[in-house]
Amino acid sequence: MHDTLSCENLTLAYRDGERTTYALRDVSMSLPPGKFYGIMGPSGSGKSSLLYLLSGLKRPTEGKVALGELAISHLPDPELMRLRRTRFGFVFQQPFLLTYLTALENIVVAAPQPSAAARQKAQELLESLGLATMAHKLPSQLSGGERQRVAVARALINEPEILFADEPTAALDQTNGHRVIEALAAWRTKGTVIVVTHDAGMLTGADEILSLRDGQRVEN
Amino acid sequence: MGLVIVLAVFLIAGVTVLANAIDLTVRTIYRYTDYFTYVLPQQQFREVPEPQRVIVESDPRVERTMEGAFFLCNIKTVMGRLPFVVLGVPDDDRDYLMQRMGTTLVAGRLPAEGMPEAVLSEPMVENKKLKIGDNVVSPTEQGGMATAAPIPVKLVGILKGPVWVGFTSRSFCTRYFLLNPRCTLYTWKDNSQRDTLNRSMMPVSDKSKGKLSPTEVQVLSKENLITEVRDSLESLYMIMGVVTSAVIFAITLMSGMLANIYFTQRLSEFGVLAAIGYSRPKLIGRVLAETALLNIAGWIVGAASTALLMRFLGESVFRARGLFLDPFDLDAYAHTIPVPICITLFSVGTITYRLLKLDPVTIIERR
Repeated sequence: MHDTLSCENLTLAYRDGERTTYALRDVSMSLPPGKFYGIMGPSGSGKSSLLYLLSGLKRPTEGKVALGELAISHLPDPELMRLRRTRFGFVFQQPFLLTYLTALENIVVAAPQPSAAARQKAQELLESLGLATMAHKLPSQLSGGERQRVAVARALINEPEILFADEPTAALDQTNGHRVIEALAAWRTKGTVIVVTHDAGMLTGADEILSLRDGQRVEN
Repeated sequence: MGLVIVLAVFLIAGVTVLANAIDLTVRTIYRYTDYFTYVLPQQQFREVPEPQRVIVESDPRVERTMEGAFFLCNIKTVMGRLPFVVLGVPDDDRDYLMQRMGTTLVAGRLPAEGMPEAVLSEPMVENKKLKIGDNVVSPTEQGGMATAAPIPVKLVGILKGPVWVGFTSRSFCTRYFLLNPRCTLYTWKDNSQRDTLNRSMMPVSDKSKGKLSPTEVQVLSKENLITEVRDSLESLYMIMGVVTSAVIFAITLMSGMLANIYFTQRLSEFGVLAAIGYSRPKLIGRVLAETALLNIAGWIVGAASTALLMRFLGESVFRARGLFLDPFDLDAYAHTIPVPICITLFSVGTITYRLLKLDPVTIIERR
């Protein structure tokens, strides 16, 4: 059984001379495993910042993030990197595929070792995402939706406990957006899925939606 | 960047091969010193004084001593005309030396006793553009007193072997080249003793018993020859060292900047890899591996193209002009080794600094 991801009094502030701007202020939440969470809010509400803090990509100014008993917001960099590599998966707004690698190789890049088993698994992921015939194509030969699904496969190669997705459909049309969200949501049977989006239509299948406004949590 | 490395290696190795060609040319032309050493009297003597000759003869490492005479002919080189000894020794000594040097007669005949005749090695014949029957030296020979001959000396045979050498008869030399001193030659029993024997034959001025005297004789050995050549080339080597260092410095800076531009173009790649959990040492390792691979490949291509071009130039252009170059001169390629090392260190160093400061969020949150 996976651990619960939680945060307490999470604050992220930027200081600009005398002025302090809060991206997040006193956010607390607990996210039990095995669910699909949507984080919503208008632009500038702090939803991406919350995702970066929860996933250890940023460190909070105050408060803490914990995965079970592990206070990940206080982990040293190398351990945080290892955690991100082994227990988390990421999908970003842009696919950020390596242009000189094929779709299959782009997925294997995220595996601990570029072994034959990893390639086999990458192929299976591509098949499950409807990209079986695209394995040996370069990113430039794929459509935007196909590229983003390859990015989803890359995030899943390590079977992450928690799958973080930051506006994964922002650059896609409705049809492709839904296909990507479906692929992400399907992961809830194996782990936790946290998707940040400003498009409520993408979160119709979410188990729980967390709303932010001006860096603070608000009721839906 | 790879092309820059190729060009840098080509430039440095090419220039060094050409500079080292001077040293190689002298060593090639005077390679007979691998097989025997000359002892020449100082100017006040006509021949090596008897006590000095006894010192040479009595050394147990010496295989044979020979009394010789000589005249000089010109050899054309890129450094100008160099005087080359045509040796006059008794027939049995000549046959012994030819056998020792692995030299055989391939055309014509050997010089007759007392006649104005000579045999020369094939490369000398080519260098002087002679054929059998032509004059090796003559009263009108260019090159000053040293190579002037009282009567024309004809080429009667051509020698083949690994060494540039010329022979005439001793009686002819002693009869016609009155101003040239007589010399003593010695050979050694064991080739491994050559250097130690030659060193022990170096004249010393403190009148040590059993040592040759610098006021009476001079010894022309392989070691002397190499020392003299390298002394005269010292300034050239120093200039080359400065030029090479400057080229390496400039190329390193330029390639380092190119590597950083390339890194900037791939910033999103490194950002996303850092975001998904690649550690900084792993990313630095990736940069190091890529840069080192590119540098090594560039070095290999640069070295190979230098060797090919130098081989072509050596055979088609320089050999005919009396310059011997070794396209596989390891010393020249050793001069280029700092190129990939400096570029790799500088590039990886600067990129490592940027990687350590890289915040993956700044890459992935670009909208």
